[in-house]
Amino acid sequence: MKIIACYSNKGGVGKTATSVNLAYASAMSGKRTLLCDLDPQGASGFYFRIKPSRKLKDRAFFKDVERFVDAIRASDYDNLDLVPANLTFKDFDIFLSRMKNSRSRLKKALKAVGGDYDVIILDCPPNISLLSENVFKTADRVVVPVIPTTLSLRTLDQLYAFFDENGYQKKKLLPFFSMVQLSKKLHKESMLTLRKKYKNLLKSYVPFSTEIERMGVHRAPVTTYANKNSMGNVYAKMWKDIEAKAGIL
Amino acid sequence: MGPFVYIVPSALKTKKLNTSLAGIPDYTIRDEKGERVEGVILDTFDNILLKRRLLLFGLEGGLVVLDLKEGCFVEQEIEGAWRFSSDLPAGPVAELLADVSPLRAFLTVAKVKIRQTKGVLLDDEGKTRARYTNLTVNHADSSISFGVVTSMRGYQRAFEDLIDIMGQAGAIALDNGSEIYRLLAIKRYNYTNKPELHLDADAVASETAARIISAFMLVARANESGVIGDYDTEFLHDYRVSFRKVRSVLSLFKGVYDGEITRQLKSEFSAIMQGTNRLRDLDVYLMEKDHYFTMVPEPSLAGLTLLFAYLANERKKELKKVKKILQSKAYERQVDSLNKLFMDSANLSLGPKGKLPSKLLASKLVLKRYSQVCRIAGTINRSTRDEVVHELRISCKKLRYLMEFFTPLYDQDGVRQIIKTLKVLQDNLGRFNDYSVQQTFLRQILDHELGSFKGDEMQLTEAIGALTAMLYSMQKKERTQVVKNFIHFNSEETRLLFKELFQKKGEA
Repeated sequence: MKIIACYSNKGGVGKTATSVNLAYASAMSGKRTLLCDLDPQGASGFYFRIKPSRKLKDRAFFKDVERFVDAIRASDYDNLDLVPANLTFKDFDIFLSRMKNSRSRLKKALKAVGGDYDVIILDCPPNISLLSENVFKTADRVVVPVIPTTLSLRTLDQLYAFFDENGYQKKKLLPFFSMVQLSKKLHKESMLTLRKKYKNLLKSYVPFSTEIERMGVHRAPVTTYANKNSMGNVYAKMWKDIEAKAGIL
Repeated sequence: MGPFVYIVPSALKTKKLNTSLAGIPDYTIRDEKGERVEGVILDTFDNILLKRRLLLFGLEGGLVVLDLKEGCFVEQEIEGAWRFSSDLPAGPVAELLADVSPLRAFLTVAKVKIRQTKGVLLDDEGKTRARYTNLTVNHADSSISFGVVTSMRGYQRAFEDLIDIMGQAGAIALDNGSEIYRLLAIKRYNYTNKPELHLDADAVASETAARIISAFMLVARANESGVIGDYDTEFLHDYRVSFRKVRSVLSLFKGVYDGEITRQLKSEFSAIMQGTNRLRDLDVYLMEKDHYFTMVPEPSLAGLTLLFAYLANERKKELKKVKKILQSKAYERQVDSLNKLFMDSANLSLGPKGKLPSKLLASKLVLKRYSQVCRIAGTINRSTRDEVVHELRISCKKLRYLMEFFTPLYDQDGVRQIIKTLKVLQDNLGRFNDYSVQQTFLRQILDHELGSFKGDEMQLTEAIGALTAMLYSMQKKERTQVVKNFIHFNSEETRLLFKELFQKKGEA
């Protein structure tokens, strides 16, 4: 079982869309996949029409294996299940800080269902916190969407610095360009600069697309409704890159 | 919870399902109806799929299997005709049928019309919470639906709700394919080559013998239409084995019927079987074709191709002859009158053992045969003549038949255990014999049929030479196994078991 986190310390970069679409791509490639929504807003669940979990509250996520397992819901697609979030997830840091081994709690929780899945994808909230440190410790790879702008460059630098300072493996980080508009000069320039600086950047990128925006209307992964020639294959291709880097067989 | 397999004794209507939903406002049922298409239900003559709780539907361009044990449908697209499980290209249905004997053809059980529907139970947000796949099948004037409701992780309640809703539309649990046949008014002959014999330990031997003979004549006759239709080689095989068993009863039960009558009947049954000898020999050869091609060296392959083309052609001719016999009035009359003869043992004049109690006679016969097997096997070593090995084979076969016939009179598990160990030795001896028969068969072609290969005599002779050499060495190899297999069969445990099962208490 491999754990792939989708994380960004900046909001609005297409993180949930990435989690949902990568999870779908993983499932379609035949991997038994669990998408675990750690973001209290529960957007991943929304895209799959799965209602927030009512029983997986407060400390239960980390403490109560049975409830964690019970909270898993099948999506409408083969090989793809989801743990929906709820608003109590916003207090994860408070619970975690009160627990022993507060940085390896997530790993313990996921281990309980590991045997059922080949891949677990974590949709993480956008901040640096005890929860995100759990994520950095647990995940085999951390996929980071980056909009090619100056500000994004700064946040990516910050993330690398944080990994450095806290002794997390930097090779886990797999940044990729998100919401790319090649018609914008700034995007093109930023991409060139960043590619020079971060060799680990994924080759495939996700262009800005109204089709992705329409996920909220369709409430389904973009590949299920988008034109194959435009957005349909973007995530499948990116998933292949990630599989290769993360050693997913 | 596992999937729910259901049957509705009529066509399942989505409208009806949605009406039943009235009490649960958050749900809707939506379905995608497939086209109504022509199809067939398929199974082997011995209903292997029905026994395994599988139902196979052949549709234009594809196969669908309802697996009642696992509660799922398995589908595979196929192109072109197929008859045996080994003909199927790799795929999920092929995998499911992989261990069905490659010798048994799949035949049409019934022509039907089929409509496949895939349905879902949706919640108020349009999320799928449970699914079902339904087949509505029409045959003659009957129409039924059956299918599988599957649960989705985390939505157990919805699964149970959907089962309830289906229940309101008339669905009940289905665990047996025969129910589908029954509701579709499909009549299916329950064929087995091992008929269940109802024997009475105290009944007189003549009656028991007649009962066993009648049962096997019925098996033999059930195969006639399959031999004529040439669906697969098992029909002829079962036909012959059954008649051989009939004849065996007569010779094993020597003294039960009048001596002269026994002799006459035996020769009559032998004659019936003889008419099919050559066809069976050819079948065995042609079945092994691929194997032979891997056995001979490259230079002999051209000759082998000629040989097999000849054998295939011979088989055609031979089949014609057999068909003619089986379809003849004379055959019909003969078998009918034999059948009638054994319906009532009073039709036959008895011999000195005719009135012996069956179990007493059976025990004596089994023990006598067993000691004969042991005696012959005891004399076999490296220099023993092949004839003695053949004698052992025939003796083992008779012992096996005896035990099989009389299994119902004894502790069945014990008898089956003995038969199981005996079978290893018999298979060994059987192969020894097959290789020998095949060499003789080849020699006959060389001696008498070379004229059919004008201009190719050299090639053919070379191929037959290579093949004979291989068969000879294989026969030798089997031969070296006989002593080892006999020792394995005749263990202390088997000996005790024989004693315990067949020796009267108090008898040493």
